[in-house]
Amino acid sequence: MKILVPCKRVPDADQKIEVHPDGSAIISAHLPFLLNPFDAIAVEEAVRIREQRDGETEILAVTIGEEVCQDELRTALAMGADRALLVVCLQPPDPWNVARILRAVTQREQPDLVLMGKQAVDDDSNQVGQFLAALLDWPQATFASRLNFVDNGLRVARETDAGLETVTVSLPAVVTTDLRLNEPRYASLTSILKARKQSIDQFCLADLAVELEPRLEIRHLETTASARSCQWVTSAAELVDRLRRETH
Amino acid sequence: MSNWPNTADVVVIGGGVAGLSTAMQLAMRDCRVVVLERQQLGNGSSGRAAGLLGQLRGTAESTRMLMDGVNIVRELEGQAGVEIFVQTGSLRIADTLARAQEIKDLVEMGKSIGFEIDHMAIDDVARSLPYMKTDGLVDACYCPTDGHLQPAELVAAYLHVGRERGVHCESQCPVEEILVADNRVGGVKTQRGTIAAPVVVNAAGPWSYLVAGLTQTPLQTAALGHVYLTTRPDPERPIDPRSPAIRDRQLRLYARPETGGLIVGMYAEETTLFDMQSLPSGFDMSAMKVRRDDLQVARLIDAVHQRYPWIDERTPMTMTTGIMTFTPDGKPLCGKLPDIDGLFYCSGFCGHGIVQSPTIGVIMADLILAGQTDYDIGAIEADRFWDLPGFQERDRIGRLCDQMHASYYGKIEGQQGAQTG
Amino acid sequence: MKCLVVAEHDGATVRAGSLAALGFAADVAAQTGGSTTWLILGHELNDVSQHAARYAAVLAGDHPLLAAPTADRYAAVIDDQTRRGEFDLVVAAASTFAKDVVGRAGGLLGGAMASDVVAHRWENDRLVMQRPMYAGAVLATVVLSGSPQIVTVRPTAYAAPQPRTEPAEIATVGIDAETLPQHIEWLELETRPTHRPDVSEAQIVVSGGRAIRDRDDFERLIGGLADALGGATGSSRALVDAGITPNEFQVGQTGKIVAPELYCAVGISGAVQHLAGMKNSKMIVAINQDADAPIFEVADYGLVGDVYQVVPELIQRLKDEPDRHHPPPES
Repeated sequence: MKILVPCKRVPDADQKIEVHPDGSAIISAHLPFLLNPFDAIAVEEAVRIREQRDGETEILAVTIGEEVCQDELRTALAMGADRALLVVCLQPPDPWNVARILRAVTQREQPDLVLMGKQAVDDDSNQVGQFLAALLDWPQATFASRLNFVDNGLRVARETDAGLETVTVSLPAVVTTDLRLNEPRYASLTSILKARKQSIDQFCLADLAVELEPRLEIRHLETTASARSCQWVTSAAELVDRLRRETH
Repeated sequence: MSNWPNTADVVVIGGGVAGLSTAMQLAMRDCRVVVLERQQLGNGSSGRAAGLLGQLRGTAESTRMLMDGVNIVRELEGQAGVEIFVQTGSLRIADTLARAQEIKDLVEMGKSIGFEIDHMAIDDVARSLPYMKTDGLVDACYCPTDGHLQPAELVAAYLHVGRERGVHCESQCPVEEILVADNRVGGVKTQRGTIAAPVVVNAAGPWSYLVAGLTQTPLQTAALGHVYLTTRPDPERPIDPRSPAIRDRQLRLYARPETGGLIVGMYAEETTLFDMQSLPSGFDMSAMKVRRDDLQVARLIDAVHQRYPWIDERTPMTMTTGIMTFTPDGKPLCGKLPDIDGLFYCSGFCGHGIVQSPTIGVIMADLILAGQTDYDIGAIEADRFWDLPGFQERDRIGRLCDQMHASYYGKIEGQQGAQTG
Repeated sequence: MKCLVVAEHDGATVRAGSLAALGFAADVAAQTGGSTTWLILGHELNDVSQHAARYAAVLAGDHPLLAAPTADRYAAVIDDQTRRGEFDLVVAAASTFAKDVVGRAGGLLGGAMASDVVAHRWENDRLVMQRPMYAGAVLATVVLSGSPQIVTVRPTAYAAPQPRTEPAEIATVGIDAETLPQHIEWLELETRPTHRPDVSEAQIVVSGGRAIRDRDDFERLIGGLADALGGATGSSRALVDAGITPNEFQVGQTGKIVAPELYCAVGISGAVQHLAGMKNSKMIVAINQDADAPIFEVADYGLVGDVYQVVPELIQRLKDEPDRHHPPPES
């Protein structure tokens, strides 16, 4: 079994995000960056699968971006990924192009399973897993909160608005992780030190024969209402009235 | 909600426990006090603290300060109607002969000043803490009157009582300028307006050296990272919420029960030195996170696992990380500096601000209103590094504070040494 | 633009979120001289088709293989119908259904997709849209290149269009069972127990704090308000410590960190340790006796009063207007 885990470096979205005055980008200097929390869940799940399967499983973490994104690949390695791969791409690609790059990596690496976060907490698009499954013509199971291997593939419990849906997908497949799938571990001292020394493969887009096809252009960013200001209501009736207006 | 206060008797910069306690004590003596907080009241180190209270310290005076603090807290509990002090007792454990000697010295010192402390048999330790590994322990000592202060409740009580006495608080209101004329402080300037005041207190915690920088005053504090874990409650492994706090100086660990789980933190040999200037303007300490491959976390878990073998990298737990304010000698900086009249400092609590804050508020109010206090504050006076060569440059101060932090639990203490923790 | 709106339904009616998506599509169509058409997929679609036809023309893909919303089959039909009908814009409400199914269709249709759109305008022949990023802290203005464009919209941002005077046409689309992919086998849907959802996943959370005196009061006041709003119950650490609420209810630094659409803090003073667990909620309502309580600093709406008086009245008023409150779809 080979599992590909796409990993994204994201700013910690719980810190206050500020935007350059010209609206071109967020101010990222001094912001803490992390492995996207949903991707950490995917790495954890992959490691648990390997633990259950007595080590006959290889976990490959892949990211797309600048050299600095190796930091998050090392997080994945420290958590237990076996190998890591950086696709160097200086402009952050949109979801369509992320999916196209991952398709190229998938075709090259031939994993049985792509396990990835349901969304990245920076752009919150929630598209890449579905795009990738469509491009590969593989089955998908999004928003997974439980995974079990069965004879004919994977049984996945999915968190949907309507409730917990269970599907079986044949392999290979793309599975995207939801919050309740697991609680990721912290890396141990020895694995952090080992991960620091591990070599990380690098590809450029030309190596993968991918040319970017921009689809989503971000023209402008602005922060939403910064400080909340409390509007006082004086009665239960008034509060119900305000709630009604706000939620409709 | 409230009108901008154009004047005040005292402006306190920093709405953590040090500032709020000072403000409350001043207001109880009829001062008009305004507290200015850059973010939210109780955020910063106060909002990340574990609150362990170990009253027995290296000197009789520092022990007295902490014991008096407990009395203040007991009164506050009555006034605010909340439990702040959780008296669980505390245990110090030793698994080496050198650490056992520390305990022996400590017990002797405690008894000599009439403090309730005694050795505890290892079997009894094992009985009272079934979730802790006790093999190999050589000695232990137990203080029944120790425990912890609940940081959230303490902040709420300072606020409650302070506001009743007229303390005015402005949150989300960083100070931009300290107004000084003829070497006298005249007030502060913020984005919301100016407040004229003859006294300004810098209680800005890790930011205090930046606030001191507004008047070009070097302040001997540095901002150091700290992390502790809180295990999630597990019905299979109940943690008695009244089981004693632990100090294991050899492994550099402290621990206490928390809401069905266990808090364990570490004064590690290595930590992170923060440049507060470089943090984003909207930096929120209560939202700080650790990476899954954080070395400090890995060292913490590694040490914790030795004492609590059931805790490892996979244990369901929360990591709380924040920033402490350290000084080169591990003691706070309280009082005035020679350069500017009316400008007071109350900072550098080295991870012990919660438990020191009740008495520190009294001391600050004494110093501000009377110019003196009954407490012997020689060890914590703000001006003790004032013109000492080698304590003036930021880099050097940072290194000294870092070294102090490294030796905090690590150093073996002699009978004369400072007791910390 | 010629707009295809993928409907989400319960077999009888189109969901409110899909009507909001139609509202968005209708506005784009009006500005560009286009049209709107529903695409309804499932099995035994007569009732829902009739309901949908009150708002726009319907394409109904009715087949036993489509009885459950498997992403591969649904996406294949959406792809096929979009190409056949030469639609320029495929729209759906931002829900887990659309993220799964329409997202995959987006991958088949060339990947020009924007999720969670909350505002739009037509400018220089381009559809300019706004969508939240960074958990709503940032609003991005985006445009898509390529055709068709695929958009999911936040239902709370758009209103349903007025029903037509005459029902529109209902057409059936052919489903070729042979060519439908069958990679995914749908097994079951465990609908949520009618009782309250888990605090970490609920779109509405009602949390109680120190002002609540015991378990019965918690159930009556906090539980009652949560039920009236269709939400989950949570609590501050104080109530967990007091044994009034179980550990898993705790919201805050050492408990759950939540960001629902609506967070009601009832009798919670708002220590930083609690705020750390909920301050990114979309809307925060605070009810507390102490007007100076820090919780009001992060609240959008504040009510100063005794929770023992205010909350029963709130519950009663919400019950009197039952249709007006239901959780907005997941965003």
